[in-house]
Amino acid sequence: MDTSNLGQHISRRFNEDLEHLRSKVLSMGGLVEQQLSQAVTALVEGDSALGEAVARNDFQVNAMEVAIDEECQRILATRAPAAGDLRVVLAVIKSITDLERVGDECEKIGYIGSRLAAQERPADKYRELKHLGRVVQDMLHAALDAYARLDSESALRVAQQDRAVDEEYEAIQRQCITFMMEDPRTIRRALDSLLIARALERIGDHAKNLCEYVIYMVHGKDIRHTRLEDVESELLGKLAK
Amino acid sequence: MSGSGKLIVFAAARVLGIVALGALLGLAFEQILIGILVALAASLAWHWVELNRLAFWLRNRRTADPPRTFGLWSEVGAIIVRLHRRKRYHKARMLGVLRELRESTAALPDAVVVLNASREIQWFNEPAFILLGLKRRRDQGIRIDNLLRQPEIHDFLVKAPEDRSLVVQVPGDVKRWLLLRLVPFGEGRQLLLARDVTATQQLATVRRDFVANASHELRTPLTVIAGYLEALDADTEVPEALRGPLSEMRRQSDRMRALLDDLLSLSKLDASETEIRGEHVDLPELLQQLHRDAKLMARRPAVIELTTDSSQGIRGDRALLHSAFWNLLENAVKYTPNDGAVRMRWWLDAAGGHLSVSDNGPGIAPEHVPRLTERFYRVDASRSRETGGTGLGLAIVKHALQLHDAQLDIHSTLGSGSVFTCHFPSTRLSSARGN
Repeated sequence: MDTSNLGQHISRRFNEDLEHLRSKVLSMGGLVEQQLSQAVTALVEGDSALGEAVARNDFQVNAMEVAIDEECQRILATRAPAAGDLRVVLAVIKSITDLERVGDECEKIGYIGSRLAAQERPADKYRELKHLGRVVQDMLHAALDAYARLDSESALRVAQQDRAVDEEYEAIQRQCITFMMEDPRTIRRALDSLLIARALERIGDHAKNLCEYVIYMVHGKDIRHTRLEDVESELLGKLAK
Repeated sequence: MSGSGKLIVFAAARVLGIVALGALLGLAFEQILIGILVALAASLAWHWVELNRLAFWLRNRRTADPPRTFGLWSEVGAIIVRLHRRKRYHKARMLGVLRELRESTAALPDAVVVLNASREIQWFNEPAFILLGLKRRRDQGIRIDNLLRQPEIHDFLVKAPEDRSLVVQVPGDVKRWLLLRLVPFGEGRQLLLARDVTATQQLATVRRDFVANASHELRTPLTVIAGYLEALDADTEVPEALRGPLSEMRRQSDRMRALLDDLLSLSKLDASETEIRGEHVDLPELLQQLHRDAKLMARRPAVIELTTDSSQGIRGDRALLHSAFWNLLENAVKYTPNDGAVRMRWWLDAAGGHLSVSDNGPGIAPEHVPRLTERFYRVDASRSRETGGTGLGLAIVKHALQLHDAQLDIHSTLGSGSVFTCHFPSTRLSSARGN
């Protein structure tokens, strides 16, 4: 499907509604991105006030989810969209659930981060978590960019990054286990780090889901629970045709 | 005779000529009518052929010159060639101008994005790739606020505030500071300009940190010096001749300490960029306290009055508000002669809360008023030094008020006094029972 399809609609008003809906999702995405970046900063810089602020601001994300959900209901009820338009609305409904979950994970990171800030910081200053946070932030950003551009190719590329995030999570897990075995006094902190790593890894999964919705919107193909290699070859075949 | 009339006569003459020629030829064979017909048909056929040749040439353009012919058709061909040349020349010139324009905008260090009425990207230059992360071709026709999603930037783009510029930090590998500006043009269209101001921002941070550190470091030795001076001043064994210099030294060290304190609090105010949420501050009570303190000052005008028309308070930081209002009151008291009057008034109206401090002192000349809140700005160096000011008071007031969304308004007339008014928006008002 080409993206220009979205631009040729009989009802101009409907078209604007859809475009407005997508914009709202993206501004919600922007808010979530900011929450994530602040949560990671709070953790890495030991800024407990910032961490608490992130945890406190999660209600904004939730409020946006509810508002967009209502908008989707209204469109479904009044416009009864079909084909590509229906896919856009469905994808929006799914995306906001994922974004809201990302918001929840950010809240968790902010909360744990502010708790960790009160304790002594390890020598490596959470270097691994910082790196994982960076990767996940880039992933979420790229996923939302693909969402804005309806760019299925880069969506696929972003979805493939999830594997790197999983590996990184594994590495942090092993490292934490080592720390705990070496010095039982660090168990509390190591457990908290693990929770944060887990939250970041989950955010990576949600970013991957967003990419899948982009592909669903553009190609009308549900690629959940399929191997990415298969999807890739299929998409490439389609593009070559 | 009009132009078209002339043309009709000309054409008629030609037709008549052809008819006459045909008639002459016909006369030779004694068939005048057939002669005329043949002549007309021949002329028509010739025109037809020429027209076809011209059309063929126009369609295919194998040669630069039109087909060789004579008469009207060669003229038409020449005109077409001339028109074509002129068009090509203009096109080349336009292309040149366009290329130059594109190259110059691409060479601009600032990102330029052209937006239409619904904020869709129409065109952008090369720096926009780097500064704003846009992609060539792909991003045309996409709404800019879908790509610049950071809530601060998003709000700026969507709401388009009045001052239309924003300095914002964009996250990423390199933490960049961008100055964004929206310039409206045409029908609802906008130009988004982005400039990298990271260096300037860093410089400002460095300067702020330097001032804060320097004042902090200077305070310790100064405390030691002031301590010894105090001890010496109290010492009875100090010769009488040194008494004068000693007390002068004490006064100067006190002044220096006040200066450092002001610098420190100013740099603290500078550092807190976000506005403070704060708690309920009982303004009438705070003002009464200030009023009492002012009355205790050694040299003061005869009248110091306080009027509180409202019992409303303000949501904010008590210490900051105290220092801001005290600075205003202290200035008024200092600069008003002994027989003058200083009046404070707190009142509400539809716009919000207002606190004014007025005096009938010497007043300030209008050219100084806009610069009063600059650091170390002095209306009259000798005068302010004798009253012991640091030159930072009003700068502190301005910053403290800014953090409370409030504004400082200064009205002054030479010879009849000044009025300093703080305007607080109604969103900042709060009552004792918690907002």
